[in-house]
Amino acid sequence: MAKSVRASVSKRNRANLRKKVFGPVVDARTERLAAKLQDLASQPRPEASEKSEMDLGADGANDHNANDAAKSSQTGEGWSLLVPWTFCIFFGLNLVNFFGLPSEMDLDALKTKSRSQKSGRVQKRNRRTRPSILRYIYAGLSLGIPPPPGSYGGTMAIFRSSWATLVANLLVPVGILTFSSGFFPYKPLLPGLATFENENGTPAVFDKVIFMVVDALRSDFVYANGSGFLFTQSLIRSGAALPFTAHASSPTVTMPRLKAMTTGSVPSFLDVILNIAESDTSSTLAYQDTWLAQLKARGDRLVMYGDDTWLKLFPGMFDRADGTTSFFVSDFVEVDHNVTRHVPGELSNSDWSALIMHYLGLDHIGHKAGPRSSFMASKQHEMDMVVGEIYSAMQQKPHLQSTLFVLCGDHGMNDAGNHGGSSAGETSPALLFISPKLEALGERAESPVEPFADLQYYRTVEQADITPTLAGLLGLPIPLNSLGVFIPELLNMWDHGSQKLHLLHRNARQLLNTIQATFPGSSFGLETIASSCASGPDSGIEGAQCAWSQVHQLLADAPEAGDSYTLAGPALLRFSKIAQDVMSSTASNYNLGRLCLGLLVTAIAAVLVFPTTCHQCMQSRYAGVFLMFMIIGYGAMMFASSYVEEEQQFWYWICSGWIVYLHARSQSSSKPGSSRLNKAASLGLAVSLRFLRRWNQTGQKFAAEPDIGRTFFPRNPSILWGLVVVAYADAGGQLLSSLPDAILLKLWALTLTIGAFGFKLNFAASDVPELLDGTFISKTVGMWPNGPSLILQARLVFGGLICLVLLAICRRYRLRIARAAPNALLHGALHLFLMTQSRVTNIPLFLIFRTQAVMLSSMNLTGMELTITGLVLQYMTFFAFGGSNAISSVDLSNAYNGVGSYSVLLVGVLTFVSNWAGPIWWLSQNHLLRTSQVSTEHNPAALLTFHVATSVISVMAACTALRTHLFIWTVFSPKFLYTMAWATAHHVGVNLLGELGLSSLRSR
Amino acid sequence: MASETASPTVNSPSSTPTQAPVEKPSTPPVNILPSPTARIYSLVHPALLLTLCTLRFEALVADPIRELLADLPWLAFLQITYVLICLPPAGTTPTEASFPAPTDGEDKKKTPPRSPSGPGVTLRPGKPGLRRKQLAGKHDFAGVWAKLMPAFLSLSLTFLLATPILAVLLVLFGAPLTTHNPETVLCAAHIALLCATALVYVHGVDGYVWKEVWGISRPADAVWGSALGTGLGAWFGAIPIPLDWDRPWQAFPITILVGAYIGYAVGSLLSRTPLLYGKRIQFTPVEDEEGEKKTN
Repeated sequence: MAKSVRASVSKRNRANLRKKVFGPVVDARTERLAAKLQDLASQPRPEASEKSEMDLGADGANDHNANDAAKSSQTGEGWSLLVPWTFCIFFGLNLVNFFGLPSEMDLDALKTKSRSQKSGRVQKRNRRTRPSILRYIYAGLSLGIPPPPGSYGGTMAIFRSSWATLVANLLVPVGILTFSSGFFPYKPLLPGLATFENENGTPAVFDKVIFMVVDALRSDFVYANGSGFLFTQSLIRSGAALPFTAHASSPTVTMPRLKAMTTGSVPSFLDVILNIAESDTSSTLAYQDTWLAQLKARGDRLVMYGDDTWLKLFPGMFDRADGTTSFFVSDFVEVDHNVTRHVPGELSNSDWSALIMHYLGLDHIGHKAGPRSSFMASKQHEMDMVVGEIYSAMQQKPHLQSTLFVLCGDHGMNDAGNHGGSSAGETSPALLFISPKLEALGERAESPVEPFADLQYYRTVEQADITPTLAGLLGLPIPLNSLGVFIPELLNMWDHGSQKLHLLHRNARQLLNTIQATFPGSSFGLETIASSCASGPDSGIEGAQCAWSQVHQLLADAPEAGDSYTLAGPALLRFSKIAQDVMSSTASNYNLGRLCLGLLVTAIAAVLVFPTTCHQCMQSRYAGVFLMFMIIGYGAMMFASSYVEEEQQFWYWICSGWIVYLHARSQSSSKPGSSRLNKAASLGLAVSLRFLRRWNQTGQKFAAEPDIGRTFFPRNPSILWGLVVVAYADAGGQLLSSLPDAILLKLWALTLTIGAFGFKLNFAASDVPELLDGTFISKTVGMWPNGPSLILQARLVFGGLICLVLLAICRRYRLRIARAAPNALLHGALHLFLMTQSRVTNIPLFLIFRTQAVMLSSMNLTGMELTITGLVLQYMTFFAFGGSNAISSVDLSNAYNGVGSYSVLLVGVLTFVSNWAGPIWWLSQNHLLRTSQVSTEHNPAALLTFHVATSVISVMAACTALRTHLFIWTVFSPKFLYTMAWATAHHVGVNLLGELGLSSLRSR
Repeated sequence: MASETASPTVNSPSSTPTQAPVEKPSTPPVNILPSPTARIYSLVHPALLLTLCTLRFEALVADPIRELLADLPWLAFLQITYVLICLPPAGTTPTEASFPAPTDGEDKKKTPPRSPSGPGVTLRPGKPGLRRKQLAGKHDFAGVWAKLMPAFLSLSLTFLLATPILAVLLVLFGAPLTTHNPETVLCAAHIALLCATALVYVHGVDGYVWKEVWGISRPADAVWGSALGTGLGAWFGAIPIPLDWDRPWQAFPITILVGAYIGYAVGSLLSRTPLLYGKRIQFTPVEDEEGEKKTN
């Protein structure tokens, strides 16, 4: 606090100085220089260069202003050259322009000026006379990066800042990659399949397993009062079912959870991304040791029905399979019917030894309507019927006499029905071992029980524990990379203590192997027995060593095999438990060197653009201060987990502050052009912001509160569809007005808009049918001809948009009006594309955006203010669309528009666009606003790069500093992934390359 | 007249005489009355408010609506006491007299068309000089009356006009609309008492001044500084709400109000310092001034 006060005081003093002492001088000099530059253009060569040199020599302290004067003519070109680092092949022409000769305009303006060696001298002088530290940095930069030969003094700043921006944008992705390679480590996996080492395994208790996964089966769905699992509860009461709560560690999405349940390992965070890129071959478990692979190796047959993730994970593993894709979440019935219809047939088959079923309907209900929806009870009842059918078959059919039936959820769901995070609801799926044989154990439990908040019903085990337990019960070797501990309740399936001991010992040995593979340095020999162990740690690697030595001691001391189980059994379990904890917590070894290197590289990028940013911020005082305040605040926020979770609050907050700035600014400007609309615009902005804020509740803390998109519209679907129709009409009108005059093109645009609306309507009819019930539109849908498939419709819309843009541009060229870039046309087409890629409930947001854009354009904002407005609105709308920093909020509903078969690139691009629709729209709109501005001396690329670089740095620093934090994998790593997307895909990919493409269109 | 004008310049000799008349064409910044009681109490008052805020904090957390409602009369009383003791009432802004002729004319040109619309017509007799003569002559009864009337007016305007406007602004800034309505209104009433009471008392219904207030371009003085500080404090008060500490005080109006109180105190004290006094936030002419934004 004190520091900031002092800083601001000194800043103010400096500002005072600037105003009173330097200000007049600067102004006068700027004028003089501008006049001089114009003189230069008209005067013959030698005189001009001498004069400029003299001037710059005398007033070297303010060479920036001189540069600015020249910059205005150059920015258009310099801008286009900021990021040719990936697209340099396509935009090679521009590069040649850049390095070789100046653009046409400059040639015109400064035709007579010599560009030979003058620049060097002018530069040297500048360097010598720079007064402030900042400018020394600047000088250092120009030293470090040699100026391109043949440039002249006036444009030096642009060249330098362009160079700096270009290099910075190259460095940011490099930094991110370096950091990622250290942060998401490669986990050493032991290759091959486990075998029994020169010994026989414990005898198998069961010879078949029926593994029934009900997606998102939270523990209370089965165990609590009011559950539909009545038959299953009766099994718990009779002791034929052993109930557990299986802790599913984050990320709680299907694929990593299946990996955990089959390999017994703790999947790395990267699996989350691979879960989205589902068919990626690197994520298959075909070459990993799983209990399925062990069964297969034994020569058994496996069958699978349900979620096709299994088929992707285990290609070629199943003899019979029928995969179901969860394409539409609104499908509650078909996905499950697809599994259940196979059950009777498979139950009468006796050739398999593992039957795997994966039901998706319950998860769909959760996503769609939440855990408390009316569909839930009937779905639970339906699942219970399946359990009953299987259980009665196990009792009656002779070939199922020795079958173990496992009923489990892969993860749970939170109160909003989503999953992916680490709340109690998401990490607490149910797990039941069911068999008539289990009744003999006499472990009867009370059921149902009262629901309670933390959802830990009965005993909580790890999800990874399923693997060694199944392996033990089926008489298989425990898979190599398993971190599971045999569930002790099931040990009593063996009669002899020696068998139990043998099993536990095997489990412990296997864990010891993995621990030794991870910590090659630590020894587990007998010599580690130390007196300190008695009171020593019971966790961490030392704890594991102590526990192991204790096991050794007990095993050595035990006289009889029968007694040794009662003695050594608990010790073995204790060791296994500690080993599991050690391995789960150190599942990731960070490469600290790489982390720091990544930070350093990104920091260099930030330092490169810092001078330009600083310079621009100083030019526009309050806006610059605001931007700096925002950047610093945003950076600091990354270190607090709750602010990362609730990032939207920051942007709403900043946005309201920025609107106050815009308001004060519009009030104070007494220019004749300022109308009443202009003055009321800020109020309109504030009102629209308030609507955006409530459109989609997101984050963690307030996620379940009512909002417009998920509460108001489902209750008033007619209002929604009215707004959607207006939004499409508006989009069509915008597109039409931006087209050149050609009746055919206009007709095409009209058809396209109607087609896009039709696609959205049909898509909604299959994706969110409840939004259509009882609305005026549902009658129209009834009359709507049963058109082509959704995929074809989407393709027609996308293809039509591309053709429209191409034709319109061609026509412009033919009419020779191509000098003006077709910005408005591209924006109109993009608008329609983004609407196609958005959820129905978000489409009215585009109407709000359009009104906001009108208000903003009436405000006569400066370049700097436009840049800040654009930045704030981009981030703000990302969250208004329902985005957040949690993996579970990635919206995949529009990721497959027009995509028939899975393709990583296409689906990735569509996913990105549908989640970043708001930011992309504002990027384009901001560009449109900026080109309509008269003054073009503002260069936003450096500012935006600086913002991106600092945000990446702060996230990286937070991830490095908090790498042992409890929330590192649930809060900070997802944030890092999102930042990666913001920095590479949004900033570099869309913003800079888009700008580059536009300017290349313009200059051609 | 001369004696009246001398008072504020004595108060802050460093900046006012040189800056205020020369730079500002509009209503000049208002200073605390020169009497020792006023000067002392003007320092005590923010501290008093903060102390009360601290003392009542637990009750506020326990039952915000009841506590806010119960505190309202006390806060109103304190604010009225403050303005009565420390501030010059509307129409007697002493520095007006020291204006050079052109600015005075401009001021007059601006005010008359607006004043008939408001209820404060009675308060602002056409010629400020008349009132001042009265004040100078009969300082006991008339003086008290001249102070009580604007005080009463400022209270009623605060509740009738400023509170609804501030409630709407609070909602625009993110206060819940569908729930917590009593909290929002009470919060707005508290904020209105903090910032509007003194503004109305000092400036009456001078349309030009209020336009400046709406445009956030008043010159910094104790009155405007505290108002701006209240607003900024309330804005910064929203920061702790999203934290996952699950403390009862993170509920909606509490942090905002505490921020407003702190902002009030800081703003009212800071804006009196010679460093900030008389400066204003301006965009069109190049001006410095980031202290207002950053120091809070």
